[in-house]
Amino acid sequence: MRIVVCIKQVPDPEGPRDAYFINTANATVEPRGIPPVLSLFDENALEAALRIRDSNPTGSVTVLSIGKRITNAVMLKAMAAGADSLVKIEDEALDASALDSYITARVLAASLSKLGFDLIVVGRQAADFNDGQVGIGIARLLDLPSVTLVRSVHISGHEMTIERVLPQGCELVRTALPALIMVGNEGGELRYPSMIQRREAKNKPITTWNLADIGLTTLPAKRVIRQCLFAPELNDRSCRMIDGASLTEAARKLAERLHSDRVV
Amino acid sequence: MPTEPTILIVVELQDCDLHPLSFEALQAGNQVAQNVNGRMSAAVLGNGTDAAVKRLQGFGLEHVYVVDDPLLESYHGEHYTAALAEICHSAAPVYILMSNTLTGVDLAPRLAWELEAGLVTDCVAVQTADVGPVFVKPVYSGNVMAVYRAATCPFLVSLRPRAFAPLQPQNSKTTEIVPVNCALNPNPRVAQVERIDEEVQGIRLETADRIVAGGRGIGGSEGFGQLRALADVLGAAIGASRPPCDLGWVAPTAQVGQTGEIVAPGLYIAVGISGSTQHLAGMSGAKTIVAINSDPQASIFRIADYGVVGKYEEVIPTFTEALKDMLT
Repeated sequence: MRIVVCIKQVPDPEGPRDAYFINTANATVEPRGIPPVLSLFDENALEAALRIRDSNPTGSVTVLSIGKRITNAVMLKAMAAGADSLVKIEDEALDASALDSYITARVLAASLSKLGFDLIVVGRQAADFNDGQVGIGIARLLDLPSVTLVRSVHISGHEMTIERVLPQGCELVRTALPALIMVGNEGGELRYPSMIQRREAKNKPITTWNLADIGLTTLPAKRVIRQCLFAPELNDRSCRMIDGASLTEAARKLAERLHSDRVV
Repeated sequence: MPTEPTILIVVELQDCDLHPLSFEALQAGNQVAQNVNGRMSAAVLGNGTDAAVKRLQGFGLEHVYVVDDPLLESYHGEHYTAALAEICHSAAPVYILMSNTLTGVDLAPRLAWELEAGLVTDCVAVQTADVGPVFVKPVYSGNVMAVYRAATCPFLVSLRPRAFAPLQPQNSKTTEIVPVNCALNPNPRVAQVERIDEEVQGIRLETADRIVAGGRGIGGSEGFGQLRALADVLGAAIGASRPPCDLGWVAPTAQVGQTGEIVAPGLYIAVGISGSTQHLAGMSGAKTIVAINSDPQASIFRIADYGVVGKYEEVIPTFTEALKDMLT
């Protein structure tokens, strides 16, 4: 069984605010002094794929990423964690300012068609723009059943049973392979690689294609226009620190203060 | 037939009634309608929609389009998309708005792809620009705001919960109810096998006016016992940042943050939460924020109104007892 996980590198989302420099000319963000990392939910997606392979040992996990330039160090983390191979679609035309969810899904779908797959796993949304629509778009373009908010997956033959998160619990759904699943943090935290795995990751196969290689000579028009970006207003509050001779005293003073300020 | 552009609000049902967030979607829709000189209509999907449809009277809606079908009893992406596509065929909307709930997370992209339309998810504001309405959403974990406009017609927008004030009923104009026929496929590609409702202990997060939330600093599920005692005294719901949910200390439904529940209670007590941007995005709308954390540099203090620096185990029991004495 061939599992392909679509992953994206993003600037570390936990960086300080001034690390996200706004380029007003093309409405993009230029990270300053923060490293690129794997998008958080893509880590969950990869973990979900690895868990599926754990119980289907003949399966393989390929990670697929598109972009103008893709940092090997970030992708090596995915390989160290257990992905078997990496496919990069690198092209000057894939500049962040030229993409929206629609175009991204088109590029990924074309890559996946060339690559072949039984199961596609994507993260719920990317940690930069949080669009959350690429996965469903790929499924639509490749005419596959798709399931979002996936917590766990059980595969038996060509049938897949999925536990899916609901507002008030969960549901079990069933569908046939090939299919696409979208995974959030319910998919589980990405496993930590050993030193040996880290070393071996460097020897795993990497394939690099450009847009022509996947049969896309021109990119379609955008469906969403990003007009501009701006920095949010800082609404830091002035925190009244409550202290005392001991923490018990501080705790009591806090309760009194909240009561006298009519908070409680 | 009105010649003004139609703004279609997809309302969500909860126990056969309108989901409270529907009124926020109506508010956002109202802003778009004013901007484009359009009329608002609503779409209602479900099995037994009468009560919800009745409640939509008085909001100045032009039409309420209804697909009432046993197959729409609970949310199913394929069924809901098919029914909405049919409604859009009748209503010919220019903008389609819905809440970015767990349902909206699935439905909005499905509908957008079905209609070959653009979609902006998780918007927090609608603004007027010379190009028409533009939609603002936080990106890069809230460190940057992005402004989008439509490049397709129709154009879809999903709305972050608590970002818009609920619309109040305003006029007595009668809204016409339009039943829409739709033949739903009884054998969808994804079949629902079983639904498992999980009991939520205590007060629900989404409607709570007070929340006591714990983070990684709580150290384990036992620590949440202390927070529950405090929550009981305050009549508060239990919340959490992401790590306690990932680590299984509390139910995943307790997660507050960009991808969990987005809350705006009167009082939010953050205990052992350092204040990652993901978490702050979900709770910074709280009226009063109290932070208890052993690290004085924790970023939670930057957005808190009251803070205590110290180990929570030494603060919470006395704090709970003192509040109990005051409130009883």
